[in-house]
Amino acid sequence: MSARVESARPNRPRKKTSVPEFLVFTLPLLLFLVILYGTVIWNFYVSMTNWVSIAPDYSFSGAKWYVYLFRQPRFWVSALNNLKWLILGVVPTATAAIFLAYLLEMAPFPGVEAYIRTLILYPVAMSFVVTGTIWSWMYQPDKGIFNTIIRSFGVDSPFSFTNDPETATYWLIVIFIWQYLGFSVIIVQSSFRTTELQEMIEAATVDGASRLRILFSVIIPNIRSGIMVLVSLLLISSLKVFDIVWVVTRRGPGIATDVLATNMIVTAYDQRLFSAGAAIGVIIFLIAFILVIPYTLYAFKKWFE
Amino acid sequence: MKSRNRPLKIIVIIVLLIVSCAYLLPIYVMIVNSLKTLPEIMQRTYLAFPRVPQLQNYRSALFGSRDFLIPMARPIMNSTLITVSVTVLACFFGGLGGYYLSRTVTPFTRVVFILVGIALYMPYQAIIIPLTTITARTGLINSHLGLILCYMIINIPLASVLMGTFFLGLPRELEEAAEVDGASKLQTYFNIVIPISLPAFASVAIIIFTQVWNEFFIGLTLVTPRTQTVQVAMAMTQGSTISPYNLQMAASLLTVAVPLLSFVLFGRYFIRGVLAGALKG
Repeated sequence: MSARVESARPNRPRKKTSVPEFLVFTLPLLLFLVILYGTVIWNFYVSMTNWVSIAPDYSFSGAKWYVYLFRQPRFWVSALNNLKWLILGVVPTATAAIFLAYLLEMAPFPGVEAYIRTLILYPVAMSFVVTGTIWSWMYQPDKGIFNTIIRSFGVDSPFSFTNDPETATYWLIVIFIWQYLGFSVIIVQSSFRTTELQEMIEAATVDGASRLRILFSVIIPNIRSGIMVLVSLLLISSLKVFDIVWVVTRRGPGIATDVLATNMIVTAYDQRLFSAGAAIGVIIFLIAFILVIPYTLYAFKKWFE
Repeated sequence: MKSRNRPLKIIVIIVLLIVSCAYLLPIYVMIVNSLKTLPEIMQRTYLAFPRVPQLQNYRSALFGSRDFLIPMARPIMNSTLITVSVTVLACFFGGLGGYYLSRTVTPFTRVVFILVGIALYMPYQAIIIPLTTITARTGLINSHLGLILCYMIINIPLASVLMGTFFLGLPRELEEAAEVDGASKLQTYFNIVIPISLPAFASVAIIIFTQVWNEFFIGLTLVTPRTQTVQVAMAMTQGSTISPYNLQMAASLLTVAVPLLSFVLFGRYFIRGVLAGALKG
């Protein structure tokens, strides 16, 4: 807004920034950007070399390590798990967040609303390492909290949670959803709070539309940019997931819960296949890059308008 | 929006009850079990209340004991030093860069902004191998400075985007008036802009602080025993079978104490901060 006000008065003399000033303002940022992109390019180059021991070996070997990875069943195990994370970490979280935000917004009990909002937000302050530690207690098959509760109803629990290779990844995703739900609700709620939307909701209520109808035909179409920000955030966080897997199952049982990020660190630092590890890093970066294109375009448009 | 119909109220109550149980239970488990003796944890259910609260568990978790070999005191000191330095430096340099980006529109600043935007979601996996090489070659790997620099690579761009977005929304009259009075850009920034931007700086500081405190991947790859961060130490208690459960829970509480406390004390800034940093996962 104010940018437009300013350009409407072009005759006002604007001081130019002197070169030393320019350097003070931007040099630190530029320096770290150069380091960042330098390391990205360096890493990309490492993925094309033949570095397979502790000592770096920068002899060019083309796409050899990418081919190596793609031929490996283990790579596909972790890639498939990442896909599960991307779908199940995002869709249920976003859906639940929209419903919960709407429920809280209707606020039949105002005090309760504030309490719930604060309560579900506290995991934002916690690290996945701690969350994972606590949840592995909840998940223990013998003495864990969930099975204790199930048994107190007199039923034998059918779940062995993260100890079952078939379903372990899903139980890990539950932890992720738990951690991000409160945060997602806040993002959705902040996009509810525009005056236009509130007026539209009121008009629809006066017209006698049902609450579900209002949610689907008035609210959701009007908070698309909020949902887009939320989905991008969840996509990128579930793609980068590392801590939960490392702490709760350490990729196990076997490699059943391996994801690209854990695969990368084992490949590079345990097996010393640095080039292959770098290649996985490049792949993660490319997926991240593609996933957030919609958000990036949106953010740039907002910034430069 | 007031709801009058009864079934809806019942659904709301049930949903809210389930949600609050799901969020109270983990923290309850953590607190209760950090106060028990080890036999108590083994013999009774995890949900039971401690017979006599064992406050000395926290001392053992902090300074170690015969059967807990990962004292948290040193990692907490390390993490505090690293996190506070990164937060202060990132806010300072990020604020400068963000201000420039928000006040100048040239092809150059556009390119910088795009590069900064991509930096926000850069996965650490894509840069970790060069970072290990650099820190090992320069010897930085054995000092806190190495970790501080590595965290700044991601957090300076983050701070400059967050602060830049804030500066964009600031009215420009004051700055223009100061310039007419002959102040240089830098003087304007330090004397006029910073004082009115302190709440925004607080939000950005809290988000960066929490994020760096909770970061695990870089820590795991780059720490040495001398610089071990709190999350890495915490993960070790989970990995080892020898660490007693009660002390593990006490250590967890110590690990989350600082960010959780800042959440309780500065909740308002915290929410604003996470909202502003929404895209940084």
